Amino acid sequence: MSAIVAEGLTKHFDEVRAVDGIDLEIAPGAIFGFLGANGSGKTTTIRMLTTLLRPTAGTARVDGFDIIADARTVRWRIGVALQEAGLDDVQTGRELLTLQARLFGLRGAMLRGRVAELLGIVDLDDAADRAVGGYSGGMKRRLDLAAALVHRPGILFLDEPTTGLDPLSREGIWRYVNRLSVEEGITVFLTTQYLEEADRLAHDLAIIDEGRIIARGSPAEMKARISTDVVTVQIEGPAAALDLAAALVTAVPAVERVQTADGAVVVYVPDGARAVARVVLALDEAGLAVGDVSITRPSLDDVFLQATGHHLQVEAPAAAGGGAS
Amino acid sequence: MQTAATVWFLTLRSLREAFRQPAQEAGNVIIPLFFFAVTVGSIGSIAGDAFGVDNFTGFQVPVAILAAGSSISASAGLGTITDIQRGYFDKLLLTPAPRWAIALGRITADGVRTVIITGVIVAIGLLFRTGFDAGVAGVAVLLAGSFGFGMAYSGFNAAIALRTGSPQAAAAGGLFLFPLIFLSTAFAPKEVFAGWLQALATINPITYVLEAQRSLILEGWDGFALLKGAAAIFGFGIASFTLTFWALRWRTA
Repeated sequence: MSAIVAEGLTKHFDEVRAVDGIDLEIAPGAIFGFLGANGSGKTTTIRMLTTLLRPTAGTARVDGFDIIADARTVRWRIGVALQEAGLDDVQTGRELLTLQARLFGLRGAMLRGRVAELLGIVDLDDAADRAVGGYSGGMKRRLDLAAALVHRPGILFLDEPTTGLDPLSREGIWRYVNRLSVEEGITVFLTTQYLEEADRLAHDLAIIDEGRIIARGSPAEMKARISTDVVTVQIEGPAAALDLAAALVTAVPAVERVQTADGAVVVYVPDGARAVARVVLALDEAGLAVGDVSITRPSLDDVFLQATGHHLQVEAPAAAGGGAS
Repeated sequence: MQTAATVWFLTLRSLREAFRQPAQEAGNVIIPLFFFAVTVGSIGSIAGDAFGVDNFTGFQVPVAILAAGSSISASAGLGTITDIQRGYFDKLLLTPAPRWAIALGRITADGVRTVIITGVIVAIGLLFRTGFDAGVAGVAVLLAGSFGFGMAYSGFNAAIALRTGSPQAAAAGGLFLFPLIFLSTAFAPKEVFAGWLQALATINPITYVLEAQRSLILEGWDGFALLKGAAAIFGFGIASFTLTFWALRWRTA
């Protein structure tokens, strides 16, 4: 049985089609990455699958239970850490986890043991009796993750778990998520706007853009589908120069596909090393000012660009408040 | 059983939150006591001659209790909004707890806080020789009534918070009791009012809550007054809980 199945899942907010008929099937134990830019429909999808939001149309089953008809059962089966770590600043970390455990029916020694175990797993033993309001961003995310795990769910939903965190804190969260998948066999549904995060964690990946899934597969499969090198040439000058450059490069032998993005022409060719000279020469002969040139193997960014026509715009991680202390 | 436990755990959480913000709790006591002192100080000496109330200090104690209760409930509305804005409300919704139990936890905590503040106000009143004619059992009945009133009034603020998600609306929600207090027998017996105000005071449930509380302080046991007060609180509670659960359904739809 699949851990999560969605068919035609749709959510409209008045005229806005936030999620527009998505189909999903996620295998048990997988880390599923849901990659998309801000406003692409990731969070709306996760809110529907976790019973917080009623779909406009379509159905979904989580661990075999319908998200509308069996919403309460679904909530027993899942753990959820939403985008903003939903915590109560006035409680201590231990109190927060204790309350969460009580609401999931744990009592007595079992409760105290589980809370202590989770505080250890997320490295918050020392801060357990301090008010959450004094925690750093990274500590709050880790506490939120612990709260989501308090009842040992089989499926874990993480909505952009590392957005706004510094690299060290992100690394820590990735380590915990990997451990959950490998050691405990938990299915993880992870939304992210970070390509590196999707590449590092996800066994299975879907790219969502404007409420629709536009690419699906493992990161390796997706990159393999491009099956070319990617030559990126920065063009200096007005937008018209970029259009001219794209037209010129399209005529270069062996070029399979050309896109423009962020002031550069992105050229997909089977052998980048051999083609780069011809590409640059064609541009130079036309009098175009060529800037930086790079040859890379396809990345998820290239997959994203090819699928959507634009790069994934990502907010820079916050420098402050995301400490991993 | 599990549901009752859920309400209890969430009540404890809200109480802990309140006690960790003592400045806010102090404000809930000090402001009603300030009005209490000013009202008694300004017209207490003429109340006996003007409208036949000899123990005006005791007459005003219930007004201070209701004002404190409304102040507590307003801050609880803001607490709900804070939970919504921080995402903690979503975290609670993601537990298997019945959703109405989540709302009821904070409302019950407001009832408990109103009981505590009622105790403080009654104690201060006793220091100023208000007396308490119904004795210790009467104090217990007054505290029980305050618990009911605190919960009922909190329901209105919870409904406003859940429906609007707006801190401004939640803060304003705490003020709607004040017109009802002024249109009741808060400052003088109904008999001295102009005809139109007398009519409004007669249909105002706050009048009956105040008169039930006053009966315990000033007259001893008056079953009919207590019954009317209990009915007013019950009706208030039915209305406020209906609104709360409607707002909760709307928010979680």
